[in-house]
Amino acid sequence: MRLLALYAIATLVALALETTIPHWLPIGMLAPNLVLILAVDLGMKHHGALGALMAFAMGYAIDSFSGTHLGLNAFMLTLIYLIAYALSRYLISTSTAIGVVVVFIGAILTGLANSIGSAGFDVGPGTTGLMPRLALQGAVSALFTPLVFSIMGWGKRVVGLRARSVRE
Amino acid sequence: MRGTFLWRHRVVLTSGLLLLLALHLLSAGVAPGARAEKPSLALMWMLKPVQTAEANIADDTTGFLHDYFDLVNVRQENAQLRQQVATLEGQRTRLAELEVENRHLSDLLELRDALAMRAVAARVIGADATELSRTLILSEGSRSGLRRDLPVISTEGVVGKLIAVAPNASRVLLINDHNSGLDAFDQRSRARGIIAGLLNGALTMKYVDRTEDVKPGDAVVTSGMDGIFPRGLLVGQVTRVSQEGPGLFLNVDIQPAANFQKLEQVLILIQQPTAIAPNPKG
Repeated sequence: MRLLALYAIATLVALALETTIPHWLPIGMLAPNLVLILAVDLGMKHHGALGALMAFAMGYAIDSFSGTHLGLNAFMLTLIYLIAYALSRYLISTSTAIGVVVVFIGAILTGLANSIGSAGFDVGPGTTGLMPRLALQGAVSALFTPLVFSIMGWGKRVVGLRARSVRE
Repeated sequence: MRGTFLWRHRVVLTSGLLLLLALHLLSAGVAPGARAEKPSLALMWMLKPVQTAEANIADDTTGFLHDYFDLVNVRQENAQLRQQVATLEGQRTRLAELEVENRHLSDLLELRDALAMRAVAARVIGADATELSRTLILSEGSRSGLRRDLPVISTEGVVGKLIAVAPNASRVLLINDHNSGLDAFDQRSRARGIIAGLLNGALTMKYVDRTEDVKPGDAVVTSGMDGIFPRGLLVGQVTRVSQEGPGLFLNVDIQPAANFQKLEQVLILIQQPTAIAPNPKG
């Protein structure tokens, strides 16, 4: 329950930041995908059905504030949760470095999925320079990963949760 | 229970089921008012106060930054003078901000009167959660009489249409989103086409016959044929016309009349027009 409350609050805060700051500051693709970082943190450190459900809910929350395809981000965040879970389980590690790599790849995959969901496989003039932009956003998200992981670790200590490998 | 197959693979199995559920949502689409959309609208309702507060903070921060840059040149002066300048500059910035806001609202009022139809003014309180889609979050919702598919305009031109409406907030799909499409025509040559967005946020006019006489600088206005936007609203201006290969259509690039990055207030047209509406600027 505490885990659920903590990630729910963190997701709402992340969403509020993601939906307001880019409109007031012209940072474009430099805005990190904070909710994705939360999903990776969840996948690496909380192995259970509840974790998967929470990742799905996080994606659904992004869908509520993005684009026109309800379910697209829910799909991607559940998938990235699963990748993070599998990696941390088979590498027997919850190291931040692995999280950084998963966030980088996850941000690019999510961006690609959003582009395909939006434009299909139509290679028009608007797709020029898409990959470098996605890589840039992936890099910015990866840079923010240690900070978000630290904040979540602090949050877990405050609410009395173990910071590592919790099996609900 | 703990040793069973289901328990050992619960994460993969749960994730698999959720992936299937997400695919179902995606493939079926969500009809307006469907149950699957309700939690999404509830989230918009919940986050609106936070977004409004952040928008207010953003406004104040802009004022603070202006103050800072103005003060750089008077650092050598004495503390009392600096204090006075800071106070005066703070007041000036706030007054300037109020003046700009007042002008925007006056313009919106004038536009609403000119359109002769019922309209609701709303404040922009947020943007899309991802950079690849182009939507904005507005401060008004169904309590103000808004519903899906209503046209949204600004004093500069067409902005988009509503795609989700919570009781106290709503989301507008901008015309430069890749999923957007509106029927429009070149005001000078009367050539018709579909205005659509590209992934990079640029605007294009599709399906313009290659024999049409479209030129850079032409104004593009809504045709009213899509059943959403009233006829005659300014969409933008033609910036480039090209013809590549043996295709049937011209490539027409459009500069949108509205600056989506700087939108602060918009109008949502509630009544469908009975007569031709004038251009927002004229």
